[in-house]
Formats: sequence, C-alpha cells, structure tokens
Amino acid sequence: MKLHTKMMQRLTSLWTSGITRASLGLAILCGMAPEALAGGKRWGPVPFASDFGYRFEDLFWLITWLCVGSFSIVVIMILIPSVRDRYKPGRKAHFDHGASLKDKRLATVISAATFLVLDAWVLVIAMTDLREAWWNIPESEEAGVYEVEVLAQQWAWNFRHKGADGKFGTADDILQMNELTVPNGRSVSFQGTSKDVIHSLFIPAMRFKKDFNPGDINSVWFKPITAGNYTILCAELCGYAHYQMFGELHVLESDTFDNWAADASELGVAAYDSEDTEARWAWDWKE
Amino acid sequence: MTSETSMRRSTTLIACLATLAFAALASFRGDSAPAEATLEEHAEEQAADEHGAPAEAEKPHMRAPIGVDLYVREDAWLRAPGPEWFKKQSDLQPGRFTFNEEGGDGEGEWVDAQNVYRLIYDEEEDVYAYWSWAGPEQLTRGRQDFLQFCSSCHGIDGDGYGRSGQWLRPSPRSFHQSNFKFTKVIQPLPTDAALMRLIKRGLEGTPMLPWALSDEQLTDIIQYIKYLSPEGEGWRDPFTGVGDVVESGEDTWVGKEEYAIERGKRLYHDPSGANCALCHPGYVNPSALGKLLGDDSVKARESYYLPVLKDSAYEVQGQPVKIMPPDFTWHQVRAGTTTQDLFETIASGIKGTAMPQWKGALTDEDLWALAHYVESLINDYKGKPDARAEFMKGLREAK
Ligand code: HEC
Ligand code: HEC
Ligand SMILES: [Cu+2]
Repeated sequence: MKLHTKMMQRLTSLWTSGITRASLGLAILCGMAPEALAGGKRWGPVPFASDFGYRFEDLFWLITWLCVGSFSIVVIMILIPSVRDRYKPGRKAHFDHGASLKDKRLATVISAATFLVLDAWVLVIAMTDLREAWWNIPESEEAGVYEVEVLAQQWAWNFRHKGADGKFGTADDILQMNELTVPNGRSVSFQGTSKDVIHSLFIPAMRFKKDFNPGDINSVWFKPITAGNYTILCAELCGYAHYQMFGELHVLESDTFDNWAADASELGVAAYDSEDTEARWAWDWKE
Repeated sequence: MTSETSMRRSTTLIACLATLAFAALASFRGDSAPAEATLEEHAEEQAADEHGAPAEAEKPHMRAPIGVDLYVREDAWLRAPGPEWFKKQSDLQPGRFTFNEEGGDGEGEWVDAQNVYRLIYDEEEDVYAYWSWAGPEQLTRGRQDFLQFCSSCHGIDGDGYGRSGQWLRPSPRSFHQSNFKFTKVIQPLPTDAALMRLIKRGLEGTPMLPWALSDEQLTDIIQYIKYLSPEGEGWRDPFTGVGDVVESGEDTWVGKEEYAIERGKRLYHDPSGANCALCHPGYVNPSALGKLLGDDSVKARESYYLPVLKDSAYEVQGQPVKIMPPDFTWHQVRAGTTTQDLFETIASGIKGTAMPQWKGALTDEDLWALAHYVESLINDYKGKPDARAEFMKGLREAK
C-alpha cells in the first residue's frame, strides 16, 4: 500500500473517533468566543422590553444557574473517585451495587431534596409568574388597554387596529401586514386566529409567544416599556416558507403614536372599498 | 506515570493537532478539489458541453426547417415540415391546425390534446418560427410544484383563491386572468425570464415571498402558469406580444440627484406633465402648487394629500376589486425601491390597474427624475413617523 493511502486511512479513522471530534468542537468554540465578545455579539437572550420581561429573565437565569450548579456537583462527584481510586499496581477493585438499606435511604433523601428544592422552587415561581403576569390579561374596560386583532396565515401576519371610531370591522380600521405599531407604556392586548394552519406569534424582546389556531381565538398581551423596533417571528413550523415568516414591531412614544394612528386611520378610510365585501375578516372582541 | 500512558497521551494530542491541521488544509483547498483522474474527466465533460451545446430544440423559439406546406387560411400557405414532423417532436398524435381570423399574416396555433404550438410566419426569411410550450411531463411537474408551493394562496386551480388568500388584499393573482402587474415589461405578457425574476424577488410587503426554488422548478411552474391562460387569451392568444424587462439605460442624473428630485417633483405634480398626483397623493400645499409650476391657474384636486381609490381589472371570485395607489411616504412599494427598480416600474406601468405605462409618454431622462423623486420620498419619510408628521404639518401650513 502506498504511504499516501495509509496516511489517508489513518486520518479517516482519526476523524471518526469521538475524541478528535470533541477536541475539534472545543477548539472551534474557543476560537469563536473572543470574536463573539470582541464583535459585540450577544450571548444570551435579547434584552427584554416589556414590563413582565424581568420575570422571564429571572426565571431563565435561575434555571440556568441551577443546572450549571447541579451539573458541576455531578461532574465533581465523578471526577473525585476517578482520580482518587484510579488503577495502581496491587490495588484491588471493590464491587458494590449500592443495594444496602443505608445506600437506598441516602439516595431517597438526596433525590427528594433535589426535587423539593430545585423543581418545586422553579415550579412555584413559574406558576406565580403565569398567574400574575402572562395569564393576567387586562380587561377591555381597564384604562389604557390597546387592542389588536391578529390573523395569521401562510406566510404573513395580518394585524387590525380599531382606528378612530374605536370599533373593529369598520372602514377606518388600520390594517397592517408584517408590521405592528403600538404605543409605549400601554397594555397591548391581542386576540388572534389563523386562516390555514397553526402559527405562533413570537416577539422575543417582549418575552411572549402564543399559538394561533384556525377556528379558534386565543388571547395574549404585553406591556412595552421601551420604544424601539423589535422582531416578530413565527414560532410554529407552518410550511415551506415558515423561515421567511417574520415582521417588525414598532413601539412608538405616545405622541408619535397618536399622530401615526390618526394618519393610518385616514388612509384606511381612503383605501376602503365598500363593495369588496370579501375582504372583511374582523370579529367582535371576545370578553 | 508509565511510559505507556504517556505515549497514549501524546498520541491523542498529536492526533488532535493533526486533525485540526487537516481540517484547516481541507478548508483552504476547498471541499470539491477533485483528484487528477476526475479532473481530466471533468475537462472532457466540459468539452462535450461546448461542442454538443443544448440542441436548438430545447429553446423556446426556433425555426422549423422548410418542408411540407401546411394549410393555414384561404389566402395563405405556410411552409411546414408537416404533421409527421410535429409528431416526431412531441411524440404525440398530430392534431388540428387552427388559425385566428382577426388577421396577422400567417400566424396560427397548432393544437393537439396536450401541446399547444405557436406558429409565426416570418415573411422576410420565408420561414416560420415554431414555438411550443411545455409537454405533458413538464406541465405535470409544474402542477405538482405549484400545488406544493403556490396553491395555498393562488388556489388549487390557480384561480387566486387559495385558503391563505382569502380576505387578502392585494389578493393573490388569479392565473385565469393572464394579467401581471409587476413584471416590468412593456408588452402585455412577460417572458419566462421576466416572470422568473419576479418570482425569485418576491413582492415586498405582501405574502408573495422571494421564492428560493431551483431554476428548473420555476421553469416548470411558469409553464404551468402560462398553461392556465384561458382559451384565446394571454398565452393562448397567438397575437399577444411577449416581452422582456424594460431597458433602463444609464441614469442620466448621476451626481445631479438634487436637480433630478426637483425635476421629478415638478413633473409629479404638473397636470400637463406626468400628473402622478392625480391618483397618488400630492406632496405640496395646493396654494403652493401654482408657485411650483409657475402657473397660478393650476388647481389641486380634492383631498390632495390622500391617494384616490381606483378601479382595476383584477377580480376576486368574479368580483372586481379597487386598488389604491400607494402614498410613497407611507405604503410599501412592492416591486423594489432602488432608483433602477422605480424607473422600471414607472416606465412599464402596472398592468390591469390605473397606473399607466409611462415609457414613450415621457423621456427616459424624465422617468429617471421621477424615479429619483419617488425614491427620495420613500427614503426621507417612509417608516419614520416623526419625520413624516413634521413633513405633513409643514405641507398643511405652507402658503
Ligand atoms: C402566501 C401567499 C402566496 C404564495 C404561497 C405565493 N404567492 Fe404569488 N402572489 C401572492 C400575492 C398576494 C400576490 C399579489 C401581489 C400584488 O398584487 O401586489 C401574488 C402575485 C404573484 C404573481 C403575479 C405578480 C404580478 O406581476 O402580477 C405571480 C407570477 C406569482 N404570485 C407567482 C407565485 C408562484 C410561482 C408561487 C409559488 C412558488 C407563489 N406565487 C406563491 C401571494 C402568494
Ligand atoms: C391613473 C392613476 C395613476 C397615475 C396617474 C399614476 N399612478 Fe402610480 N399607481 C397607481 C395605482 C392604482 C397603483 C397601485 C397598483 C397596485 O398596487 O396594484 C400605483 C402604483 C405606483 C407605484 C408602486 C409600484 C410598486 O412597486 O408597488 C409607483 C412607484 C408609482 N405608482 C409611481 C407613479 C408615478 C411616478 C406616476 C407619475 C408619473 C404615477 N405613478 C402615476 C395609479 C396611478
Ligand atoms: Cu407561521
């Protein structure tokens, strides 16, 4: 066999071995980190811009650190005996199945403690957050609630605002596609459905995500606290062009927003074709 | 440490380094660097490609060899290789040859069950061009891809009324109408290339996305779309002109954009110029209009700052829909916002809507000026609510 071929074989078998791949992965990661840090790329979630965003943030980091902590403990507890009890000439192995009553008690206590401390802790916080924030959808009558109807479709987001007359389904409604403009500092309440398949309205910066299903109306809300532009995504695989289904959220300060809404509503009336009855899709707000 | 373990360790280390080096080398050389033998084969293939270039027969237009005479209409005979020739080309039963009575010298259609051919007589060369579109296999592939990718909006039968197209404005195109808005061609119908360009680019601000399909898939789909033309209309009318994207030439205003914008603004508002403000919103105060145009007798239309809803040739389920001209400071322009794109859109017009074709009516220089003006409106105010509010306020208060 030629030397060349032999070397290729060596290299191929090296490539298929797990340890090489792992070291390669590590090398790539180490190579990437400085670039990501220097290039100002962000590691971790986008900064939140809604008033309940901090709850998500807290829970996210709590879970992350709990996982990092418990993982470290496990790794240390594997490393210690593997170093301490490693092979030495003349040392005899000791076999134990951990089946004694003492071992079983210890295992039970540790698992119970882990569950009660870690899981219950996370669960209680999560349920409190859901009750107090995400499921606490503001009522229509509450002052300052801004309502928007959402119609998802392959592959676009249709948004409908009430317009100047404060009613859905009228000539002066504001219609937006793949763009959503809302006032800063007011609770924005959505009701949404889909024309075709399941889509999921996801605005990472606002820390919420909600499925919209054909034949059903779902509600969701958030309260923006920072004006700016944010990405809207679809978080449910909805067909071939799912990857192109995104939009932009514009959170405007209230003066700017009022100007915007007045103009948008006026243009809505100008574009309203009273004979084109097929184009209507609004519904009455569900309480 | 035994010598064995230290050996093992250093081997692992060397292995890691070698792998890294190998990976780096491979990435420099490029993945597909073929071995020498394959390089030769490759060269052979290439040579074969050049000599045996795709047969003429695969191109959409081709000249038929002069041969057998074919009856077309009472006073005209077209020379054709005859039914056998068609049979050979399509492997199908020869069919009937029809002609259009409206006129056109020696033009007609060769029709059989699956294929449609178009014959155009070229008097000068005394031959006629033969034009076929799509055999049954291609149409079947086209229909399959159409169903998979396009039918959710454009409808299972291509009638523009798919499930995701309901209640949607602008509504997805019905391919039963043979009307196309944004292909940027002067002739009534676009070439395959113009259609493919449109489908690949998509229409901004609508669910008609840029489609990342292969050229083969798109070609099949396009043949299928053409095939959906109703009998005697669009591609099934042998007398409808087919053209490519309008020639834009050089932008004559490079370095003088400010003047272009000034010129564009005048033309835009001038009733004896382009008068775009007849349908699109006016962007000057009506009382300042006379001053801009140097003619005090000019009067602005009502609701000058709003666009005017216009009738169109497009239908949804048989119901004609009205279409609003965009306010450039507000709405998304769909067929591109570069100066070049705007030139092409304005020059070719938007078929089936009120938006006229301006090529010919205005000089290219004026068209470029208008493109610059529209582009400046978009860049300065679109998506900038504060700037736009300021601008509109300024307009309303201007004297
Ligand atoms: C998500 C809905 C959707 C899908 C899927 C879709 N389209 Fe469209 N398409 C539209 C809409 C809406 C329009 C009309 C836009 C307008 O009039 O401004 C349109 C217009 C068109 C036009 C006409 C453009 C013109 O100049 O008039 C063509 C051609 C077209 N689509 C081809 C395709 C093809 C081919 C596919 C599949 C690969 C496809 N479309 C998939 C929504 C869709
Ligand atoms: C008779 C009415 C009318 C006139 C005059 C008119 N337009 Fe339009 N224009 C329209 C309509 C209607 C549309 C919208 C078509 C659509 O959305 O399908 C439109 C759309 C456009 C678009 C947007 C195309 C896109 O990509 O979305 C541009 C740019 C445009 N017009 C420029 C002009 C310019 C420049 C002039 C003057 C030279 C002009 N128009 C004159 C009716 C008109
Ligand atoms: Cu989706």
